[in-house]
Amino acid sequence: MPASRPTPSAHPATATGRTTVRYAKGFTISYAGKYKVITIQSPFEPKAPTVRYLLVPRGAARPAGYPDAQVIATPIRSLVGLSSLHVALADFLGADDLVVGVGSFKYVSAARVRQRIAAGQVYEVGQGKELNNELLVAQHPDLVMATGWPGEGADYFQTLRAAGIPVLINSEWVETTPLARAEWVKVLAALLNKEDLANQKFDAVAREYQRLAALGRRVAKKPSVVVGLPFKDVWYVPDADSYLAQFLRDAGATYHWNRTKAPSGSLALSFEAVAPVALTADYWLQTGSLTTKAALLAQDARYAAFAPVKTGRVFNNNRRTNAQGSNDYWESGAMHPDLILADLLRILHPELLPTGPLRYYQPLR
Amino acid sequence: MTPAFLPPTTPPSLPAPRLARGLLALVVLVGLAFVLDVALGPVRIPLLAVARLLLGHGAAADAATDFIVHQIRLPKALTALVAGSGLAVSGLQMQTLFRNPLAGPSALGLTAGAGLGVALVMLAGGGGAGALAVRQLGLAGSWALVLAATAGAALVMALVLALAARVRDNVVLLIVGLMVASVTGAIVSLWQYFSAPEQIQEYLLWTFGALGGVTGPHLAVLATVVGAGIGLALASAKPLNALLLGENYARSLGLRVRRSRTLIILSTSLLAGSITAFCGPIGFVGLAVPHLTRALLGTADHRMLLPGACLLGAALVLGCDCLAQLPGSQITLPINVVTSLLGAPVVLWVVLRRPLRSAA
Repeated sequence: MPASRPTPSAHPATATGRTTVRYAKGFTISYAGKYKVITIQSPFEPKAPTVRYLLVPRGAARPAGYPDAQVIATPIRSLVGLSSLHVALADFLGADDLVVGVGSFKYVSAARVRQRIAAGQVYEVGQGKELNNELLVAQHPDLVMATGWPGEGADYFQTLRAAGIPVLINSEWVETTPLARAEWVKVLAALLNKEDLANQKFDAVAREYQRLAALGRRVAKKPSVVVGLPFKDVWYVPDADSYLAQFLRDAGATYHWNRTKAPSGSLALSFEAVAPVALTADYWLQTGSLTTKAALLAQDARYAAFAPVKTGRVFNNNRRTNAQGSNDYWESGAMHPDLILADLLRILHPELLPTGPLRYYQPLR
Repeated sequence: MTPAFLPPTTPPSLPAPRLARGLLALVVLVGLAFVLDVALGPVRIPLLAVARLLLGHGAAADAATDFIVHQIRLPKALTALVAGSGLAVSGLQMQTLFRNPLAGPSALGLTAGAGLGVALVMLAGGGGAGALAVRQLGLAGSWALVLAATAGAALVMALVLALAARVRDNVVLLIVGLMVASVTGAIVSLWQYFSAPEQIQEYLLWTFGALGGVTGPHLAVLATVVGAGIGLALASAKPLNALLLGENYARSLGLRVRRSRTLIILSTSLLAGSITAFCGPIGFVGLAVPHLTRALLGTADHRMLLPGACLLGAALVLGCDCLAQLPGSQITLPINVVTSLLGAPVVLWVVLRRPLRSAA
């Protein structure tokens, strides 16, 4: 893995059927003959021991070595994704047909998977404490992809492992840039033997993202942005190392907490600490689940004093919310940082790109 | 038998002038705490500038200072004032009515009832589309929450009042309140178990308590309801004094016990229900302040204790809010955490200083 982030033109050529990790720091993929080894660096929390997976062609014998690794037979033929992000990974690689189970029907946006749900081809297994182990053991999918939340630990999925169902911990949330998050698609690609497709599609996304980011970072006038929705006294804002702060840097925005770091990735500030910034900000982004200005002011009438509310420059990232209340920003958006960045550029610098519709964002009416 | 936390006979009150001086000192304390609370915050504003703004002399140097003082700190300090006095008065009434030094506003299950109402909006909400519809209306953050919490508290109050009409024993009533709290707590836990993490987080934030965010019409409603509750309490000062000596004795003095009891429960419900609805649960104020007031004023006369508890409660919550600002930092601690952290040692101190005898 390269030590620093390379420029897009410096991408070394990757051998056919292989992939190289360029942005993500949370996992590595290495190739040894017919076998692949995926290492997840911080599966549950920064200090958790790394987890290793040994990808073995279906029918082949387990090679010597890697005694601690879990074996997964490839290519996998069925996938249970506990989070909607895992559905997005499959959708991005055109592998919707492999999705046989999801954590919750409610949180799925991908049209092809929704069709499968409607046709009764997908089962719902729940999440966390409600994970339906019995159903999973009975269905025996080739792989369960889970999100490694802090505090869970490797023995969280012991029941499934004991039943011979491999559980892959996907911890894309440790990444600090949008591209690094999206690059986790390469993990699924390795499981599907679809590295070439992943390289091609992800490189296209990365190239477009870098092109847009170059435009955004070059602008002379960087409007100030405030993010999130407070709850009474608390206003959680993303810290300097969050992928959202990276989006804002690349979109040519001025972000007040661009240099403030917090271990959890977000800062719990008091309303008063953020209010002076919001009063004079040019834009206000990502206001919870709200879609109208009236609803915003019904939460707290004091927001009326904020400049973005007065000028009508409040934009939320929930344009693609479906009837179940699931927001595709968190699903397909995670795979398409280029489209999100284009939205942000269209909002913050309308002169920069040819006019076009916003994809994930919408102004509060 | 006389409750153990009170002197056995008619209390040897301090001489009236000393009592008056004590109350006057509390008024000054509240004033100081109020100014300090408005002066402190993550954004540094000179005390002089704050004082000038508070007195209405001239405009602030910039719009942000003006917004912070008038839209954030002043409503918050006023909320602290109102909530502190209301909780203290409701706690005092409960301790006297139940003749139990450990009773507080939550004793009747009112706080739990309000929590149930809030959980209904935040967690249950009919699931999926229903909850989304509620959120789209933008109600989750304000009136819907307040209405649900008030409805929850009112429901419990109606239950307690109906039982109070039948049950004569106040200890039984106390147990009913505790059981109501237990059942509602279990229902909320069950909902949490089946809710999405972001919904649970929202509910969790509510349980931390917050004095901020109560502005304009909300503050007016809260102040009116708490004012009415305190008014009812002050009108009940004499019945409360009589109840100190036991219900039978109060009855022999000509007190209509059942009517007084209803009024006291009504007043407490208004106070605890409305404050919990707007600010979330704020622990220990209702429990600790009555003890502190008795110790400070050295009297058991509710005509003095009620205004005293009012003032001390306000001063205490204002003081806790000053500490919650963590002067010099950008974060604010949840008020419920600060009051509980301070409240528990206070109660311990009171209990250990004056050993409790069996109250029954």
